[in-house]
Amino acid sequence: MSALGHYLEEEGIATVAISLIRPQTENTKPPRALWVPFELGRPIGPPSDSAFQKRVILAALRLLERETGPVIIEDFPEDDPRATPDPAWRSPFIPAAAATGPADSLASRLEAESVLLGDAHQRWVAQHGRTTVGLSGLPIVECTRYVADWLRGKAPPSPREGFSAPLILRFAVDDVKAYCLEAAAAGAAKPSSRQLGDWFWNESAAGAAIRALREALQASDDDRLKLIVANFMVPAARVPVS
Amino acid sequence: MTRLTDLPPAQAKRLAELECPNFATRPWVTGPALSQRRVAIVSSAGLVVRGEDPFRGRDTDYRVIPSTTRPEQLLISHISINFDRTGFQEDWNVVFPLDRLGKLAEEGAIGSVAQTHYSFMGATDPVQMEPHVRELAGRLKQDAVDAVILTPV
Repeated sequence: MSALGHYLEEEGIATVAISLIRPQTENTKPPRALWVPFELGRPIGPPSDSAFQKRVILAALRLLERETGPVIIEDFPEDDPRATPDPAWRSPFIPAAAATGPADSLASRLEAESVLLGDAHQRWVAQHGRTTVGLSGLPIVECTRYVADWLRGKAPPSPREGFSAPLILRFAVDDVKAYCLEAAAAGAAKPSSRQLGDWFWNESAAGAAIRALREALQASDDDRLKLIVANFMVPAARVPVS
Repeated sequence: MTRLTDLPPAQAKRLAELECPNFATRPWVTGPALSQRRVAIVSSAGLVVRGEDPFRGRDTDYRVIPSTTRPEQLLISHISINFDRTGFQEDWNVVFPLDRLGKLAEEGAIGSVAQTHYSFMGATDPVQMEPHVRELAGRLKQDAVDAVILTPV
C-alpha cells in the first residue's frame, strides 16, 4: 500500500495509507501512513461499529492537513474491541467431524454439513442482507460437491469457461469457508475471528476436509495444483508444525 | 489469525521483512482543507464486483468499483488466506469504508466522495503494479480526486 502511495503522490495526488504491518511501512517510507493495531484483514477496525470506524478514517485523513513531511507514520491509539471473544456465542450444532478418516467419508460429511448449515446461512443473509459467497460462480451445493469430488480423488474438470480447475478449486474452497463462517456467525452474538476460526478448523467437517485435501493434493504431479493447495487453502497459523 | 505478532514466527518475520521498493525520491503533495477534499478508496484487498473477473494469482492490474456498488456486490478475491475475512463478511466497511466516507461527506468533514474507487491485489510486487498505478492517477484526476485513502488487508 505504501508503495502505491509513493507512485500516486509522484503523479500529483495526495495519499494516506492505512498500515497493518508497521515494519513494512517504515521500510517503504510513504508520504503519510496511520498504523492501526488491528488484525490483518481489518484495516478500518471492528465490524458494525460506525463511530469507531469513522475515528480511524478521520485520524488517517487528517494527516493530509499536516504541513510538514514527508514522512509521517502515526499510530492509532485504540484497540479493536471486537478482537475479544464473545462468551455468548455458540458454535453451530452439527455432528462433530473427526479430523481424520477415510476421504470418501469426509467428503460425504462435508456435503451433509453444508446442508445442515443451510438454515443458519439463510438467517445470516436475512440479518446482513448479503453473502460473500460467490467467487467460484457456483451455487453452494455445486461448490461443495466440487470440493468433495476433489477429496474423493475424482479431479473434476473446471465447470467454468476461462478458469482452470485448480483456480476454481481455490475459489470453491474460499466459498465453502465463507458459507460456513457466515452460518456460524448468524445470530445476536458477536464472535471474534479466532472463535470462528477455532470452530471452523478444529470442529467443522469443512475444515477437516480442506486440511485433508491439502495433504492429498500435495502428492499431485501438477505443480500449479500443488502450489495452490500448499499455500492458499489452509492459513499458516492453522497448518500443523511438522 | 490476529495481529502480525500472533502469526507463526516464520511468517511474521517474512511479512515484516518483506522486500519493499527503495525509492530515491520523497514526493509530497499538499492540498486544501479536508472539508474541501474529494476522497477515493484504493484498496489492495483484491476486491472485485460480483460477476466481473476476479484476481487470479498475482495480477498486476486493478479492478474498478463504482460508488454505486452495493455491499452484496463486492467480493474479496485476494490470493492470501492469512488474513481475517469474517470482519468483511459482517460489514464491508471494515475493508471498503464507502458508507463511512459518505457519512463524513454528509457531515462536512470531507468535501465529497469520488465517483469511482479501485482495488489491486496486495500480494503482487508493487514494482509490477507501477504502470497501472500511474495510469490510475489519470483516472483519479479526471474524477477531481485530491485525496486517496489506501487500505490494505
